[in-house]
Amino acid sequence: MQSVTLPASLDEAVAALEAMPAAVPVAGGTDLMAAVNKGLLRPSGLVGLGRISELRGWHYQDGHALLGAGLTHARMGRPDFAALIPALAASARAAGPPQIRNAGTLGGNIATSAPTGDALPVLAALEAELVVAGPGGVRREIPVSHLLAGREMLSPAELIGFVRVPLLHAPQVFLKATGRTGPGRATASVAIVLDPARRGVRCAVGAIAPMPLRPLEAERWIASLIDWDGERGLAPDALAAFGEYVAAACIPDHEPPADGSETLPLSPAVLHLRRTVAALARRALGRALS
Amino acid sequence: MSGDAATAANATSTTLPRIDAAGSGDGPGQEPPLMGLGASLPPADARAKTEGTFPYAADLWAEGLLWASVLRSPHPHARILSVDTSAAAAMPGVRAVVTHEDVPGDSNYGRSVVDRPVFASDLVRHHGEPIAAVAADHPDTARLAAAAIAVEYEVLEPVTDPEKAFAAEPLHPDGNLIRHIPLRYGDAEATGEVIVEGLYRIGRQDPAPIGAEAGLAVPRPDGGVEIYTASTDPHTDRDLAAACFGLEPDRVKVVVTGVPGATGDREDPGFQIPLGLLALRTGCPVKLAATREESFLGHAHRHPTLLRYRHHADADGRLVKVEAQILLDAGAYADASSESLAAAVAFACGPYVVPHAFIEGWAVRTNNPPSGHVRGEGAMQVCAAYEGQMDKLAAKLSIDPAELRLRNALSTGDILPTGQTVTCPAPVAELLRAVRDAPLPALPKDTPEDDWLLPGGPEGAGEPGAVRRGVGYGVGMVHMLGAEGADEVSTATVRVHDGVATVICAAVETGQGFTTLARQIVQEVLGVDEVHVAAVDTDQPPAGPATHGRHTWVSGGAVERAAKMVRTQLLQPLAHKFGMSTELLQIADGKITSYDGVLSTTVMEAMDGKELWATAQCRPHPTEPLDGSGQGDAFVGLAFCAVRAVVDVDIELGSIRVVEMAVAQDVGRVLNPKQLAIRIEAGITQGIGAALTENLRTARGLIRHPDLTGYALPTSLDAPDIRIVKLVEERDVVAPFGAKPASAVPVVTAPAAVASAIRSATGRPVNRLPVRPQAAVVTPKA
Repeated sequence: MQSVTLPASLDEAVAALEAMPAAVPVAGGTDLMAAVNKGLLRPSGLVGLGRISELRGWHYQDGHALLGAGLTHARMGRPDFAALIPALAASARAAGPPQIRNAGTLGGNIATSAPTGDALPVLAALEAELVVAGPGGVRREIPVSHLLAGREMLSPAELIGFVRVPLLHAPQVFLKATGRTGPGRATASVAIVLDPARRGVRCAVGAIAPMPLRPLEAERWIASLIDWDGERGLAPDALAAFGEYVAAACIPDHEPPADGSETLPLSPAVLHLRRTVAALARRALGRALS
Repeated sequence: MSGDAATAANATSTTLPRIDAAGSGDGPGQEPPLMGLGASLPPADARAKTEGTFPYAADLWAEGLLWASVLRSPHPHARILSVDTSAAAAMPGVRAVVTHEDVPGDSNYGRSVVDRPVFASDLVRHHGEPIAAVAADHPDTARLAAAAIAVEYEVLEPVTDPEKAFAAEPLHPDGNLIRHIPLRYGDAEATGEVIVEGLYRIGRQDPAPIGAEAGLAVPRPDGGVEIYTASTDPHTDRDLAAACFGLEPDRVKVVVTGVPGATGDREDPGFQIPLGLLALRTGCPVKLAATREESFLGHAHRHPTLLRYRHHADADGRLVKVEAQILLDAGAYADASSESLAAAVAFACGPYVVPHAFIEGWAVRTNNPPSGHVRGEGAMQVCAAYEGQMDKLAAKLSIDPAELRLRNALSTGDILPTGQTVTCPAPVAELLRAVRDAPLPALPKDTPEDDWLLPGGPEGAGEPGAVRRGVGYGVGMVHMLGAEGADEVSTATVRVHDGVATVICAAVETGQGFTTLARQIVQEVLGVDEVHVAAVDTDQPPAGPATHGRHTWVSGGAVERAAKMVRTQLLQPLAHKFGMSTELLQIADGKITSYDGVLSTTVMEAMDGKELWATAQCRPHPTEPLDGSGQGDAFVGLAFCAVRAVVDVDIELGSIRVVEMAVAQDVGRVLNPKQLAIRIEAGITQGIGAALTENLRTARGLIRHPDLTGYALPTSLDAPDIRIVKLVEERDVVAPFGAKPASAVPVVTAPAAVASAIRSATGRPVNRLPVRPQAAVVTPKA
């Protein structure tokens, strides 16, 4: 390790990265340091983001919250944050053991883009935008889904500064299935966000693909069934049908072979995953509407 | 999970051990003693371990030390065409590179069969097999140099299915069949009115010690070497290492450091030998600290096992005949497979009376990760299967599962399928009744306010409406001490001077509590308050491996004998003076009193500044190997345990949470109540891991996810309330103090009980451990 820089502002951090292109930015280090300890990564320099106080909180802007990329999972899990963006708070509380939640950050979760990143399906469902800081004080905005899908990338010396999330003032749910009762990586997760102003339901499924999946048709169909001005409730059959719809959209059957022979059935493990997604989506929507 | 680790995990759990009155070992109103046997003496190192100042091997340091790194095979099966170390050796900072060509003595080693190369020479037989080792002045340099060794492989098709190992090309000059035991007992033609069959698969549990392997080797001026490491069998390791170094055993000394968790053999010679070789080669101290990945690749795992069973019973549910085929996947090398197979075959019917038994057992070589000794090996795998069969039989006959087990329960005087008569206490029915009759945990109320930890965890997706509760039983047995003619002997020395006693015994404290027990024994016999237990090295007489609960028995027995010899030396002159035999004198609270209380003196006065020493051995009665039809008195003693598991299953997601484990155990005598409770809790927790999450997965022989994220150990949220409802204290007359070792049998029994409870909750067969979520899902009938 040649150098460690500890800038005090976002622009200073960008400048430090510009000055030393081989340096790697580090926030909580929960993924980066694991890679270093495994010998997979030997950065020649580090730019520590921990002292940039503007990134560690949030502020409001035109009906949106501008979340600092340095917000830790522990901070997002607290009740004041949960009142603002309930699903993101729920995903933060589910993101690993306390040690990880105390260190790991929102920006890190996005930058790492691990399929099991718990915040990612929530951000996808919220249609969050990233505010990216570049050299010379330049700011540009990227939809989080574009970054996760690789449609847009961060350029050298760019940093995720903030995450712009709409304040919807409506129920949101994040549910996650894991292999044990204690903290664990998601085998599948579902985020459901209600947007009463636009009469929309937005859903994203995490952990089953390299990036969160949005079942757009299922969203539109279920939103059309909801009585937005009334009780908003749905019959159990409709909830179950939504779950099946989401699951089939995210985990489709195999394509029928071109030669007309019989379609291969899904493996039992994949079928179980599909059932899990269906149950999570059904439960999540049920809770959001209850 | 390792002993220490399990203890630590339980310490963080939200519930403290609850022991009912039956377990305390004292009548009501009697204060438990503060010292001696029966006291809950805390471990002497508890404070240092809690504060993080207790030194483990990874903390060792020596002036001018070099760092070792081992190059391991990335392939499970490959021919080595060439190994070029020149680039690595030329790197600045690299002091030595060793391969199979640099092993001066025996090129192979092995604890029971010498079949394992120190470094692979022409053939790689498993993923992670050592090929070369490097010593350099910095750990990174050593790692880079190891990576710079150019090895040319011809990758071969791995044999990963143990069923195909029989017909496969031999993976080893010794052949693929390590051992076959065809046990025949009774009449092969016997049949029962009802027959149930089952196929069971048990996964690969890893001992996953909380501290990874580490060691320091220091060359000696006489051309020998000292190895500082957390060995659990130092004398055997010394002999194996010396043979490979081409040295006399007395030129090699293994010094045992703090053991950071051990439920299997620790610090395999595969770690120690390269380390010692590098120290001998460079003339410098060399340190090795394995990464977590290396730890998973390097040490032995529990045998993955395939079991086919057919149980015959009469209409009342009494067992008539058990037929079984048991196939142990030994991995590439024999290690402890022979012993594991003997336990699996001998206990294949469980703690039940079976008039006719026909059990075929095999242990075969594959290119999978090597299997070896992990607590309860062999016995744990068959327990999950025979208890599955008992559940099936109960369902078929519509008999309560606990009642069916009671009808068949083994007791003292019954005969095992190996022809051995059970002579020790075997209170199987009493244990089972105790767990059956214990009150069930309250059902949670289905309200959002209710603090109900649902399957899937506090922030999980669990939904009360989809949760089914199940109650299941497991009854298990395990042998104590080495089996089949192993010479189980231990030697201990006790010294008393100035009112302070010292115990010198090479029994390794692995977290099982031996040093605490040794202090209690000396307190009990000599009435001395302050007792120290010396650190272990191989200059002391051997005490054998820290396995099969043998140190409680043989090393504890040796300490007691030595202490009694010291007692006689102390009392002889007094007895002579008072004109009475030594038996009529008592030692308590530092005072020596005659039986009538008339004559009295203090221990200090009687010592008169003298230093008293005595050394003694304990060697239990001999055993014999199982013969060609699986018959023989192979075991010194047996321990039993009954567990009732209560689980909650989310039947849509298949997520499972163990709510409570009620345990009743046959312990002979409680020597340290608190320590005993901790051992049982640790064992149950390890068993829950094997039942639900712990499986070191492989794909075509390659270990997938060798880390603690991919290999999910139980956390404090996964550990349930562990309720010790009964400790049966029926003393085993052949055991010192009448006590039975307690750590292994809960590990053996817990997985079977959890599987049984999941069966009861879901109605699914549950024939594979760990239980995968899809096996616990109930799909609504169309």
